[in-house]
Parts: sequence; C-alpha cells; structure tokens
Amino acid sequence: MENNNLVEKLSLQVGSFQEGFEILCKSFSFEEMVKNFLHLMRGNFIVSDIYAYHKKQNDSEWSLVASLKNNDLSDKSYLVDSNDLSINYLEKEKFGVSVTLPLSDKSSFGILIGSKLDKSEFSDFDKITLQILLQVFDSAHKSFLNQKKEKELVFELNEKVVQLNNLVDTLIEASQYDKRSVLFELALERMASLTNASFALFQIKKDDNIVQQQSFPPTFSVDDVLNSELTIESSFDFNNLSYQFFLAEKETRAGATNFNDLDKLLLDAITRQVRSSIENEFLNNQAIEKEKMEKELNVAASIQQRILPEELPLIKGYDLAGTNIPSREVGGDYFNTIALGNGKYALIIADVAGKGIGAALLVSTLDAALHSYLEFDLPLTKMADKLNKLIYKSSPPDKFITFFIALLNSETGELDIVNAGHNPILLLKEDNSIHKIEAGGVGLGMLDMEIPYEGTKLNLEKGGRLFLYTDGIPEAMNENEEEYSDEQMEKFFVRNNTSGSQEYVDKLVDDVKKFSGNAEQSDDITLLYLIRK
Amino acid sequence: MSTDFNLVSELHDKTLVIKTEGYINNSGGENIAQEFSKHNNVNKLILNLENSKVVNSMGISHLIEVIENLNQSGGKLVFTNLDPTIEKTFTIMGLFQFAEKADTVESALNN
Repeated sequence: MENNNLVEKLSLQVGSFQEGFEILCKSFSFEEMVKNFLHLMRGNFIVSDIYAYHKKQNDSEWSLVASLKNNDLSDKSYLVDSNDLSINYLEKEKFGVSVTLPLSDKSSFGILIGSKLDKSEFSDFDKITLQILLQVFDSAHKSFLNQKKEKELVFELNEKVVQLNNLVDTLIEASQYDKRSVLFELALERMASLTNASFALFQIKKDDNIVQQQSFPPTFSVDDVLNSELTIESSFDFNNLSYQFFLAEKETRAGATNFNDLDKLLLDAITRQVRSSIENEFLNNQAIEKEKMEKELNVAASIQQRILPEELPLIKGYDLAGTNIPSREVGGDYFNTIALGNGKYALIIADVAGKGIGAALLVSTLDAALHSYLEFDLPLTKMADKLNKLIYKSSPPDKFITFFIALLNSETGELDIVNAGHNPILLLKEDNSIHKIEAGGVGLGMLDMEIPYEGTKLNLEKGGRLFLYTDGIPEAMNENEEEYSDEQMEKFFVRNNTSGSQEYVDKLVDDVKKFSGNAEQSDDITLLYLIRK
Repeated sequence: MSTDFNLVSELHDKTLVIKTEGYINNSGGENIAQEFSKHNNVNKLILNLENSKVVNSMGISHLIEVIENLNQSGGKLVFTNLDPTIEKTFTIMGLFQFAEKADTVESALNN
C-alpha cells in the first residue's frame, strides 16, 4: 500500500521532473545549470541550505559552484571522493545529505544538502526523488556536453569554411595590388587571422642583410618572434632577393601552441600568391619599360628621318648617291649634300656617339648649325671649330660627333676637307689607288681646348670616286661575331670601280647584309658615293 | 609582447558602446568580454569595429560568448562599421543569427 502511494506520488511528479530536465537543458553554462538544479532541489525538499561543488579531475580540489543558503555552512570535508554515485544520509550533522555524482566527462559533482526546515528526516519519497533528480541532472549534463560539443564542431566547421573563403579572397586581392607595401600588409594580416597566429613577420633580404621588414601587429619584438619555438615560415627567392614570411605562436584559450599542417598550407598558399604578384609586377614593369623605349625609338627615328635628305642634288658632271639604313635602335648617323651655289656643294657625313632620342636631337642640332654656318662661307676649319664649341655646349660629356665635310667645287673638282675624328674617307684615283683621308682633329663636342682642326685640300680627278661612310659598314657583325672589316670594305671599293653611284650603294648594302646573315643590325649603315664623270 | 589592442566604452542608459582598435585575437576578445562583464544591466551592446580590420577565430569565440550572455538575458549585440572581410567572416560563422549589424553607432543606438 505504502509502495502504491509512493508510485502515485512519483507519477504526479513526472511532469515536474520533465520540466526540470528541460530547464536544465536550456542552461547556457554549467554554473547556470547547477543554480537551476539547486532551485529544483530546494523546491522539492524545503531545506535550509544547499551547496553544489565541482571537481574537474579525480585529484583536484572541490570548488564551490553555487549555493542556496541562509547561513554559510559550506564544508567540503563532508564530500566523499567516489567513482560511483554516493548518497550519504547524515544524522545529527550540520548537513542532512552528502552526494557525490560522477559525471560523464570524468568530473565529479558534489552536493551538500542542509537539514529540512521542519527538522524531519528524509523520507523514502525524498530519497527516491533525490535519486531521480540526480539522474535528471546527469542526463541534462550529458545533453549540455553534447550541445557544447556540437557547438564546437559547428564552430570548427565554420572556421574551416572561413579559412577557405578568406584564402580565396586573399589570393584574388593579392593578385590585384600593384603597391608592394599594401600587398605585404594584406598578406601578413590574412596569414595571422587565418592561422590564429599571434604575430606575423615579413622580411626581404639581400645577401643575408635585411632590406625591408614589415610586421603584424605593427609593434612587437622581432627577436622574440624569431627566437620563439612556436613558429612556421615560408619563403621564396626572386631577382637576387630573398622573401620570408614568419608566423609565431598560434593562439588557443590554453595559451600559445604549435601550428598544424593546415596552417602551413595556408601560409604557403598566400606566399605563393605574393610571389606571383611580385613576378607579375616585374614583368609588367619590363613591358612598360619596353613600350617606353619603343616610343622613344619611334620619336628618335622620326627626328632622324626628317633631317636626312629625301633626295640628293644633281651635280653636273658627277654621279652622286647615298643611303641611310637605320638599325633597330635608332643611331645618330647623318649624311647630306647641300648646294651652296656657284657650283659648290658640301658633302657631309657624321656619326653621333650613342643612340635614341638624345643622339637624334644632337644630329638635329648639327644639321641646323651646318645650314647656318655654310651660308656664311667660313673657312672650313673655322666652321669646324664653331661646330665643336656648339656641340660641346649642347651635349652631355659622353656625347660627341665624328664629322667629315668636303666642300666640292664641281667645276674644278677641288675638295676642301675637314675630318673631325671620323673614319678615314676613301678616295679612289683613276689608277685604282686608294687615298685615305685621315682625321685632322677630334670629334665635335669631345673637347673644347682651342685645338685647331687641320684641313686638307684634294682634287677629285675625272673618273675619281669619293666614298664617305660611317662605321656601321666596317663594324657590321655576323652571327659568329666577325666584323665586315675595313679591309673587306676597301677591297669592295676597289673591285666595284666601274659601278654607277646608286649601283655601288645598292651592291655594298647587299654585300654587307649578305655577310651579316641573320645577325641583328647593330648600327646604322650610312654612305655617300660620288663619282666625277 | 604588445598586441596593439585598445578599446574605449561609453554607457548610454542600458546600452554599452565599445569601440575597438587593433587585432581582435584571443586577448582582444578577452578584453571585450571583460569590459562587457564590468557593466550590469546592459541589455544592448554596440560593438564599433571601425578600427579593427583583423579578427581571428579565438577573438570570435569570445564574441560568441558575449552574444550568448546577452541573449540569455534578452539583450542583443549590434556590430557597427564592419570591414567587408570581417562582415563576411561573421556571416559564415553564423554570428548574425544571434547578433545584428548596423552601418553606424548612431543608427544602432536609434534602433
């Protein structure tokens, strides 16, 4: 009968046990769960005090988690260490019950229940109720742990998704940055956040010397990081520089720890992208530089082409031809034949040291100056001197012009000549002997020391041939790096002593090109050829 | 070693506004949680992350605990001035299921 009453009473309690379980399960922390449990206990037993303790491991101390008390009677000595559920009903002690409940995570839950307010003993119903409540707590705690584990798993999974997502975003962003400092800053921040590194460091070294360094967060001791045992690194070399990334001290709640394989993968992936960005920047700069150079060459070429004559004057009694074949890198070759009136003509050939716009502009200066000075009918040596001073002032120290001018009196064949540092010009006499017209002074613009130029006067007899050229002909190279040579050129000059002037020009150009083969033309090919008929 | 994290806070009735500066890592997250725990009866926490462009998962785990604390008492956390990368990270981590975001502190205060 008594048992039937018990069962009946317990049946009435099922709802409240269920409700109690739900309340406990909704607790968001262990402490809150314990507090709720104590309220549940007090509601069922109407006791003065209840104290709840927790011990994480078997050999640690009990610590008070929560209490419902009228007086502070807490006393851990009443708790029993046990690997099984232990419920001790105490008589004539300050506590009525001492409970030790082992939990599923190998911790222990201890409860000290004070005496009942009505001073009565714990009845059978109370004891059964206590057992059930302890089971409710145990189940709720298991559920709490499962939820916590589930939350942790979801967190970890989301963390992996974040890592993957951020890695992709980082790789895309890193490929778009053209400013290195921003690129490195982005890489460091992302490496740190993706791997939970406390610190990230970036160094560029040349021959073991640090040329650049950047860190995240910006202020910390670099030595502390580099000396830490908890680091990983990734590096690459490019253009004689060494780029290194370091990560130090992976964070956890329990303190710093080692990085794992995934962290190394993430670090390496971002490092590779940084490398790719740097390589692309280099190639891009090269392409820009190349484009700039090509534009400059085009400008230089157009300057040169505007200056060089489209047509040479017809000189009565003479056969004159000339050409300029520019190299890929526009040089500073110049040639011209200027009619001075009264049957006089100035034949000029010149070569500016250097290439590009600078050389082209200097040639332009020479051309303008020549046209001016020739109008004044100055003695050639004096004119050469004036040109020298002008070019010296107009050009940088490393630029000068080798220059040859011959003033032809077409009626007499007299040649008034100045050779300022140019190759020896060749004169073929009727008897097939060559006269070399050597330099009578240094190139224009080389020195300004009042050293006078020496002039020469020669006669071009009928049948005689004058060959003006620049060093692009004798110095033309083939694939074996052999030069066409002065010797070969002179032999050609003698051998072709019956060609008309244009025929000679064309044949010589062909001969040089045949010699050079597929080798790139390294300098302008320029020549003027005059025959006195 | 310094990690360059700072915060300032202001209490507006039951709304606490915290503005952070620097890397929200484990210690940054702890600082935020500690600052929040100093104030009782706060039912709204506005977290202005304008000067924090980098956050890691340890920092996020502290923020999640703060969110849970607030939600338990019927309160809410509102993030403002979020960097797009951080906003994306929070979205993936599911924070906005339990917290809110606003463009500015003012709009968060007014809602």
